[in-house]
Amino acid sequence: MAAYRGHRTNPDKFEKSQIKIYLLILPMVLLTGLPIVFIIFHAFKPMEELFAFPPKFITTNPTLDNFRKLIKASRSAGIPISKYVFNSIFITAVVVFGSLLFSTMAAYALSKLKFKGRNVMMQINQIALMFVSVAVMIPRYLVVNKLGMIDTYWAEILPLIALPVGLFLVKQFVDQVPDSLIEAAYMDGAKEWQIYLKVIIPLIKPAIATAAILVFQQVWTNLETSNYYINDDSLKSLAFYMNTLTSTTTTNTVAGQGVAAAASLIMFLPNLILFCILQKNVMNTMAHSGIK
Amino acid sequence: MSVFGKKLKKKNPQAKLGKLERRQALAGYSFVSIWLVGMLVFTLIPMVQSFYYMWFKIKARNGLQFTYVGTQNLTQIWIEDPDFIQGIASYVWQTLLQVPIIVVFALIIAIMLNGKIKFRGFFRLVFFLPVIIVSGPVMNMLVSEGAASIPALNTQAVVSAFDTFLPTAVANQLGTLFGNMIMTLWYSGVQILIFLSALQKIDPGLYEAAKMDGGSGWECFWKITLPTIKPMILINAVYTVIFLSSNEQNQLINLIKTAMFSATAERGYGYASAMAWIYSILVTAIVLIFFALLGSKKDVYDRMVKKRRKLEKKEMRAARRVERRSARNAKRIEKQRKRGKFRTYDGSGDY
Repeated sequence: MAAYRGHRTNPDKFEKSQIKIYLLILPMVLLTGLPIVFIIFHAFKPMEELFAFPPKFITTNPTLDNFRKLIKASRSAGIPISKYVFNSIFITAVVVFGSLLFSTMAAYALSKLKFKGRNVMMQINQIALMFVSVAVMIPRYLVVNKLGMIDTYWAEILPLIALPVGLFLVKQFVDQVPDSLIEAAYMDGAKEWQIYLKVIIPLIKPAIATAAILVFQQVWTNLETSNYYINDDSLKSLAFYMNTLTSTTTTNTVAGQGVAAAASLIMFLPNLILFCILQKNVMNTMAHSGIK
Repeated sequence: MSVFGKKLKKKNPQAKLGKLERRQALAGYSFVSIWLVGMLVFTLIPMVQSFYYMWFKIKARNGLQFTYVGTQNLTQIWIEDPDFIQGIASYVWQTLLQVPIIVVFALIIAIMLNGKIKFRGFFRLVFFLPVIIVSGPVMNMLVSEGAASIPALNTQAVVSAFDTFLPTAVANQLGTLFGNMIMTLWYSGVQILIFLSALQKIDPGLYEAAKMDGGSGWECFWKITLPTIKPMILINAVYTVIFLSSNEQNQLINLIKTAMFSATAERGYGYASAMAWIYSILVTAIVLIFFALLGSKKDVYDRMVKKRRKLEKKEMRAARRVERRSARNAKRIEKQRKRGKFRTYDGSGDY
């Protein structure tokens, strides 16, 4: 059997046979990449370039004006921006950790352990996945209200932890883990939680990395929880704050556009950084499943 | 012999779990319980509640006030809300067209990225990068700035070109599809990833063997690659449908949202619930269509095993029936004999 060659991703030499692939792939790369470049350039544009028509792609004379305006705007608010940053980081960290833990556990149980009702549970998840999340907003508010979680961190954390998408993705990967590995561990006397920790988790690391990015992105940019469940300004998240900054300024002046551009770059950067950290894991996906 | 039937019923294997199975079930419940509680409290209960609200008009005046209206919300949508109906029609077309395109795109890109090319890591990064910004305020800004479409591309020409041989509705959708080329590419990040993971799991030995036997790359694709990743195609299709139907760029979602917060007595939350349920039933239907199209048909061996099992079951049932009947007959004969009505010829006397 040929050895797996996935790790040496790049071939050593440039070959002529690669040209056709390049021809196909380069336009797509350009198309996909352009908006990202746009975000970055947009943040550094001076006033007159922001409203240039047709819109310019590349900034000719970049300035930091937009960021200066943003800082100024945040200074005038009563609550320091660091509080919002802390809120966002705290909430995101807890939600990402919690939802990954619970969804991997549930995925393992639903795909590898046999018990009554597991098919029903999977169906429920599937249905919940297809249901419009907007529609459950008000009942969810009622639930949160009844549990007495309005104006606490709980209201921002708990509703997001049981996201059906994470479970859906992770379960697909757990399904691919061969049963024989689990049986082998079982033979050697492993308990279920040991199998979960020592067999399943290491094998689905790439899936976890992918799900982590998705969940992070969802939580980090989430406005709804702060909007609906939180009245206390000091508990709201950064995404919400950025949104109010840009929306209130756009209503009275066009100057808000610049602030919005800067704010969106700031919101985008943590995503990018996290992605670069997890990139290797995500890309190598299911390279080592142990058994062919 | 008459006990046989009863005994068989008692032996029902589902009735009592073995020790191992019980242990496994217990572990399963404990692993799933936390997630289940979260799911119940924050998703399932609200869903059921919104189903309940669908039949009411709800006013938010010092607390919520309910008035039962039956199916009035539903009929009102069909009669008074042309935006929503139109939105739904175009949504169905768009999804049915867009999903195959996105999935095929993702497959092509994944296959290319799985091959040997230089800067592969960089390409992978670029294609996955959009996933981290496709939602939230950043995306809204991008769309409003027009960065998601290609201004140089004249979609009108494309539409009129398609219009000559396709129905207008389809042609229009294709036109918007071309206009939103970047969006299409952007939506395929996760799909590419799922395909890549499946492609990497294919044993290279298979390809080698096929090459030895003289198979071309084209044949390898159809005979090895495609069958192996077929389950992933289904998953990707489902994921794409869900993604398309629940992202913030979807105008239907916005319609539902505005209906929910509108202060007029006609709309409001009950109305929005009805809209949401119509919409999610549609989404489910679309997913089911893809399931029907791509669902894995069991292979020949499986089908044979199933057939054999069915036959065995049938035979067993027949055997049991015969047994029951003979037992019944025996009983009857016994009874009749006791009454002296039924006599067998025992060789003595006259019959």
